[in-house]
Amino acid sequence: MLRHEVVVVGAGLAGQRAALAAVEAGRDVAIVTKLHPLRSHSGAAQGGVNAAIGVDDSVDAHIYDTVKGSDYLGDQDAIEFFCREAGPTVIEMEHFGTIFSRSPDGTLAQRPFGGAGFPRTVYAADRTGLALLQSLWERLGTERFTLYAEWDLTRIVVRDGRVQGIVALERKSGEFQEIAAKSVVVATGPAGRIYGRTTNAHSCTGDGVAVAYRAGAFLKDMEFVQFHPTALLESSILITEGARGEGGILKNATGERFMSRYAPKVLELASRDVVSRAIVTEVLEGRGFQGPYGGFVTLELMHLGKERVESRLQEICDYCRHFAGIDPVTDPIPIYPAQHYMMGGVGTNIQGETNIPGLYAAGEAACVSIHGANRLGGNSLMETLVFGKQAGIAAAAYAEKAAVTSMQESDVGAEAATYRGWSSRADGEDPSALRTELQATMDRYVGIFRNEADLLEGLRRVRVIKERFGRVRVVDQSRVFNLNLTDALETQHMIDLAEVVIVGAYARTESRGAHSRTDFPKRDDARWMKHTLAQYTPTAPVLSYAPVGYTRWEPKERVY
Amino acid sequence: MAPETISAPFDIYRFSPGKDSAPRYQRYVLEVTPHTPVLTALLKIRAEVDPSLSLRYSCRSSICGSCAMQINSKSRLACETHIGPEVAKHGRVVLEPMRNQPVLRDLVVDQRPFWKEYERVEPHLKLDPRRPMPEGKPTSMSPAQVERFYETPRCIACAACFSACPAVEADPGFPGPMALAKLYRFVVDPRDTATQDRLVKIQPNGLWLCLRCHLCTEACPKDVRPSERIRDLKQLAIEAQGGTETGSRHAIGFKENLKGAGQLNEMKLVRATSGLGGMLGQVGQGIRVWRKKPEIMKRPRRIEGMDELDRIYAALDPPPKEER
Repeated sequence: MLRHEVVVVGAGLAGQRAALAAVEAGRDVAIVTKLHPLRSHSGAAQGGVNAAIGVDDSVDAHIYDTVKGSDYLGDQDAIEFFCREAGPTVIEMEHFGTIFSRSPDGTLAQRPFGGAGFPRTVYAADRTGLALLQSLWERLGTERFTLYAEWDLTRIVVRDGRVQGIVALERKSGEFQEIAAKSVVVATGPAGRIYGRTTNAHSCTGDGVAVAYRAGAFLKDMEFVQFHPTALLESSILITEGARGEGGILKNATGERFMSRYAPKVLELASRDVVSRAIVTEVLEGRGFQGPYGGFVTLELMHLGKERVESRLQEICDYCRHFAGIDPVTDPIPIYPAQHYMMGGVGTNIQGETNIPGLYAAGEAACVSIHGANRLGGNSLMETLVFGKQAGIAAAAYAEKAAVTSMQESDVGAEAATYRGWSSRADGEDPSALRTELQATMDRYVGIFRNEADLLEGLRRVRVIKERFGRVRVVDQSRVFNLNLTDALETQHMIDLAEVVIVGAYARTESRGAHSRTDFPKRDDARWMKHTLAQYTPTAPVLSYAPVGYTRWEPKERVY
Repeated sequence: MAPETISAPFDIYRFSPGKDSAPRYQRYVLEVTPHTPVLTALLKIRAEVDPSLSLRYSCRSSICGSCAMQINSKSRLACETHIGPEVAKHGRVVLEPMRNQPVLRDLVVDQRPFWKEYERVEPHLKLDPRRPMPEGKPTSMSPAQVERFYETPRCIACAACFSACPAVEADPGFPGPMALAKLYRFVVDPRDTATQDRLVKIQPNGLWLCLRCHLCTEACPKDVRPSERIRDLKQLAIEAQGGTETGSRHAIGFKENLKGAGQLNEMKLVRATSGLGGMLGQVGQGIRVWRKKPEIMKRPRRIEGMDELDRIYAALDPPPKEER
């Protein structure tokens, strides 16, 4: 049996940073990921990473903006910790080798982002995630650890009140294998693909979050789903907030710069929930453009000039040219909001600890929570690094003290039998068809604007899909790189998580941040300034609630 | 208003170890819009026709580097290659796994050879403890210094260049375009303190094995232009070692050799590359070549159009400025 002290699942920025911290603490570390680490979705992050290192900026201003952006659902103690760590973290990454863009005086350049009082976002052109991912992987490459690339997590084994290890499918051999571990860090990113219209990669299926949930971990605030205002039509490929930070403007079909009616002070640089709702409202009220892929508005960069657009927004130029057939230097970009980020995840504290001893989580898979009901652009890359490190340190400390695990060979037997059952059915449900139906359901019933009737109908449909999944059939009989089996595993994760999102959204009878109920349009601090916790049971998630961490920032009405 | 569609035939390489005794091609015909990416079509085939088709993919926006494959014999990303132009040019879309890496299944290759070469160039910042990073602040770097990295950080490690490279196929000693472009990224990094060592080490380790065919640059989806980075590395390597290493001696010898006549004097080139001693070791081969091609012993004559070459040489090596 494979054995390690700390197993990190997921190898994006959070997972790699956790692994680095655990290796530096002297532990025997393994990274398990379903992709090669350099193909992780962190690499797709474009705009930048927030740190209050500018001369006029302050950590307090960063804290305030993040608390306000969270619509007062973020834990203020965690946010304070986060904002203080941000500066040193950027510097550390620069020392690891990240090539950030510079100002003429040689210092790190910073651009304005939505919901921020200062140009606080450090960037590497419009490929900041890729730049960070490369240099963190390069740094990690100088250390000793074991990499299991292209393995799918299927189970976290919890016995005797603690983590014992994991079970995962090695794609290359088609074998399920157990890896004994004293502690496990879940850093598998989001489940954005529960939506059809999403900026997320196909691989963002919430594997670690769902597996941790089934192992007994609480999921926190899953109903808070961020929709990014500017995604390309049809493909939903992201156009960074940096495009608006550089001066891009939004227009409706009448040529009006409509954000002046929604956020008169900061216009396009209001926070994402505000801008997304504005765009959807424009289209719903008939002021959008109409095309074969539905209604839309446009993002204009033409006035910025060819040189600025091509140097600061190099990848965006490529995306527009390749995937939308337009040139942002000369044409308006047709855009519409798409699912982008999940504020919720495996509930943790600042150290990345979950409610299960030995289980840690970090990055988008986790919910600390610093984003509360709405995340600010530029805060998630920083979150992966700050809390990835914390989770790695804590997981290493736990592993150092923990007794040997009781992982058994038989742990994998049950696993293999279940999946053999899927493959031996003569007839049954197609996992990709179920996934497509799930995505359509979430798009239609659990989008930007929500109401009781839609949420109930969404839940009913998801439960039908869940029931049908009980008869899932894997047609592909090959062992090697059996994506049909991977499809089924991922679809199962996605169904469970979609259910948690809807149940939480249905229960929360208020509007806060990205959770916008047309039947309860006001924020209700008296009843709802609290975190949702969802716990797995075989029939349905059971909800409970936890208080918000509060230090010194009084809730106010949120105006931009 | 429905977008216009075309009927696109796909011939896809299929091979499943343990099931198929040999690779085969399977045809699928799909109705798609001309600007549909190849990846979208592959996912449609998987979802609606044949879930057993295997491939790598993730981001669908040319940033994760997963979906490189041979598309009508060119190494490209499936997510950013549009079907319309392929069908217009070739009548169909032939999809095969990347080259220079063993096939695991269908369109999935074993990328270990590619990653091994990446590791070989020691792709991480090397720091000298005597030259620590500035404490508590980032390194100061001018926008011009950052500009030197303009292309290389865009690399998404998709291995399209590795797949397209004939030198990788011919010579196991060649690290391949991506690894060398990565090396260049560290060589020009003002924070890295091992520049000289890197340039010295890479010369006998494959730098000079590049064939200058530029197929890597043609294949690269992110405009990293690996062949140009290799060219830059060679220039830096010559500067670093004063042109004393065999590969650089050959390059300089080649350039000097063509001067004047525009035709190679092969004897002189062997001498320039290997020195007198090395020449002695190659006497046997020299005699064999002379028997087959006696003209190589003749003194080269000035070729037609040499005037133009003279002008190129003059531009390359301007006469030293007179001191005042």
